[in-house]
Amino acid sequence: MEYILKNGIVYDPANNIAGEKKDVMFKDGKIVEQVSSDAKVLDVTDKIVMPAGVDPHAHIAGPKLVVGRIYRPEDSRKGVTSKKGVCRSESGFSIPSCPATGYRYSRMGYGTVTEAAVPPLEAKHTHEEIMAIPNVDVTPLPLFGNNWFVLQWAKEGKIDEIAAFVASWLRIVKGYGIKIVNPCGTEAWGWGGNVHGIDDPVPYFDVTAREVVRALAQANEKLGLPHSIHVHPNDLGHPGNYPTTVNTLDCVKDIAKNGSKRNQTIHLTHAQFHSYAGTSWRDVESGAKEVADYINNNKHVTCDIGQVTLDETTTMTADGPMEFDLHELNGLKWANKDIELETGSGIVPFIYSGKAPVPSFQWGVGLELFLRIKDPWQVCLTTDHPNAGPFIRYPRIISWLMSNERRQEMMDNGEVRVWSYKRTGLGTLDREYDFNEIATITRASAAKIYGYQDRGELTPGYNADIAVYDINPNDIDPSKEPAAIEHAFGNAMYTIKDGQILVKDGEVVKVVPSHTIWTDVKGFEEQEKTVMEEVMPTFRRFYTVKFENYQVQDHFTPNPIVTEVQAGK
Amino acid sequence: MKTITLTLKKKSPIALEFDELIPDKVFDWEKVDFEKYQVPVGNRRFPLTDYFDIEVEGDAAGPEEVKMILDGDFGRVKYIGCKMGAGEIIVNGDADLHCGAEMEGGKITVNGNAESYAGREMKGGELEIMGNTREFCGCSYIGDWRGMSGGKITLHGSAGKQLGECLSGGEIYVKGDCDILAGIHMNKGFIQIDGDVTRWPGGQMKNGNILVKGKLGILLEGFVYDSVVADPVIDGKSFSGKYIKYNGDIAVNGKGNLYLNAEKNREFL
Ligand SMILES: [Zn+2]
Repeated sequence: MEYILKNGIVYDPANNIAGEKKDVMFKDGKIVEQVSSDAKVLDVTDKIVMPAGVDPHAHIAGPKLVVGRIYRPEDSRKGVTSKKGVCRSESGFSIPSCPATGYRYSRMGYGTVTEAAVPPLEAKHTHEEIMAIPNVDVTPLPLFGNNWFVLQWAKEGKIDEIAAFVASWLRIVKGYGIKIVNPCGTEAWGWGGNVHGIDDPVPYFDVTAREVVRALAQANEKLGLPHSIHVHPNDLGHPGNYPTTVNTLDCVKDIAKNGSKRNQTIHLTHAQFHSYAGTSWRDVESGAKEVADYINNNKHVTCDIGQVTLDETTTMTADGPMEFDLHELNGLKWANKDIELETGSGIVPFIYSGKAPVPSFQWGVGLELFLRIKDPWQVCLTTDHPNAGPFIRYPRIISWLMSNERRQEMMDNGEVRVWSYKRTGLGTLDREYDFNEIATITRASAAKIYGYQDRGELTPGYNADIAVYDINPNDIDPSKEPAAIEHAFGNAMYTIKDGQILVKDGEVVKVVPSHTIWTDVKGFEEQEKTVMEEVMPTFRRFYTVKFENYQVQDHFTPNPIVTEVQAGK
Repeated sequence: MKTITLTLKKKSPIALEFDELIPDKVFDWEKVDFEKYQVPVGNRRFPLTDYFDIEVEGDAAGPEEVKMILDGDFGRVKYIGCKMGAGEIIVNGDADLHCGAEMEGGKITVNGNAESYAGREMKGGELEIMGNTREFCGCSYIGDWRGMSGGKITLHGSAGKQLGECLSGGEIYVKGDCDILAGIHMNKGFIQIDGDVTRWPGGQMKNGNILVKGKLGILLEGFVYDSVVADPVIDGKSFSGKYIKYNGDIAVNGKGNLYLNAEKNREFL
């Protein structure tokens, strides 16, 4: 089937197209240069056309989500809809049901989402949930930063072993790249503690976050994985944590990049939670300037923000000790899980109220980072869903980024407390994003950061993953009309995925199975074999499952998109 | 004034749901509107007339001018008066789960027993139950930590487990007995129980008041003896006689007060 999206105003940052009136054509699921006269015409005259959205960091599938849903029925009852058209019923606000997750991303014009924290032991479960999420392709990132094997080899400086282990484990669990969460800290939580800063050794293994992050970065570049290491540094959410963040980014500066598409060797996730100065919640101040300055001066770094949306949400992370701190802080219910030799996790509901100083401050820090980071290719829009707020708020964040007037209004009329500008630099920043920058931070930069070679651009040969929004960019003043911007980006006129129209006028009209995007490393087989021989005795001794039941068999990824990588190339 | 009378003619084994039939939504309905209405039954809907004879008399300009009379055994009708803001509902029989849940105003009288979750998350208004109720009367939604916050529940019979769980305002008055963990997790409001209590009132309470006129079986360890008080006044209500006053639950640093009738609970002294 051939289509022509006619007369849209196209924003395709990867191809340097910024608001040009032009047609976009696709055939058999791919973008093409031209189509025949039989092509079906979709008139999108003067509407915004972009590649479909790419979310580089969210928590949408896996055991944390299930525990969250089980222990927060009060969240599930929000957002309940009945079965309508092609859609099943929906439930949930911060932890939506699997189908709702797919529909809601689809309605915003998104086509790809990263599941950012897969405990390898629970990978099967994660994949089962991905199968239940329609309409968006999912990229799972397995956790490596507190893995016993990795900790041991990092201590011994055995980079080849780590590389081989990562190559094997990505295949075993069907993962895309390396996620690191509070390196050494979550393992320390197994001993009832945490680590502070990147040079604080974890009990027993006696290795530091600096050593682990460097070792995994070296392994990542040795293999030449499409994505860089994806790091949630130590000290999340602690006043005075920004030096830890900057030190983490700086500790891999000397490691040479080995990835064809991306520029970075480290991706800092939910930077907002890691950009605080001061010494306590009493004297806390923003460290956004220091973190943004570092990013502005260092091209080996990219980030996503984790913007606070001012909602009641559910925090869930592999940062077990952080979640306990949060529970102590807000007194709300707490779930905790240890994942054997790999990681841990915690869950706590959280209310980011604009009436309270701390959430107002966090809201300000996130926006400050967005506005201070100069190169939109180094930053992505996220809420670390659901940690700082649900992903359905992306359109609202877009409206804030495009309107200084709206931000000032929120600070003036008390929608956020004074800490939003007295403790941050937000009040002094009047930058407003334009549509091209929005297109960059919501799709193009994420696709480049992940090294995707089939999406995030409207390049011929790429997947026909396209979003059309019902606004005329030459007609609207986003600065003055934030509500219209939010509505348009929340209700795509068209969401097209692999050439199929999934959403029309904000309604899901077609439901398709999602794909699972994972990385298969080739050319490292010998090293992998040796490492597996070393791993297996420990595996058999300490894991509660047999290896045969641990592996993710092919039927867990019925629609795989396999990125083959030649190790070292 | 409009009087709407529904008289049961067939009891469904699967519960009907009545949250759409509150004065706020039906004050301008005529008889014909009720006859057209399909009521949720499980995951389907059926004509209301399958189950009830319907009478409508008079006119109402708003919900406060509506009186709904539900005649018969409504023991398989859930969500009676759920989210109502004004008007009156009288149930001449039993009521199923969630009667008066999330109600904000008006009055519901149940001239029979009410199932569990009566007055869940109530914010205002009055719920009076002439018979007994079961678990989680005046509680939160499952999983939530924010329970009933206003209004008054009067129970002439006995209450089940976890009465007033997560109570954060309003008043619950039980004239009969009460089972375990009344006022669990409460942080404000007042629970008065005239009858006997099995055990553990006020578990993990942060604040608020519980008064027991009858005999208590087992007191929780987290309650610390304060004093014996004569004729206490709580929330503007005075109680004659001597009461043993405790503070708790210290397990959660609670500042709540628990009053036990001294005469009936001598062994605690
Ligand atoms: Zn995250």
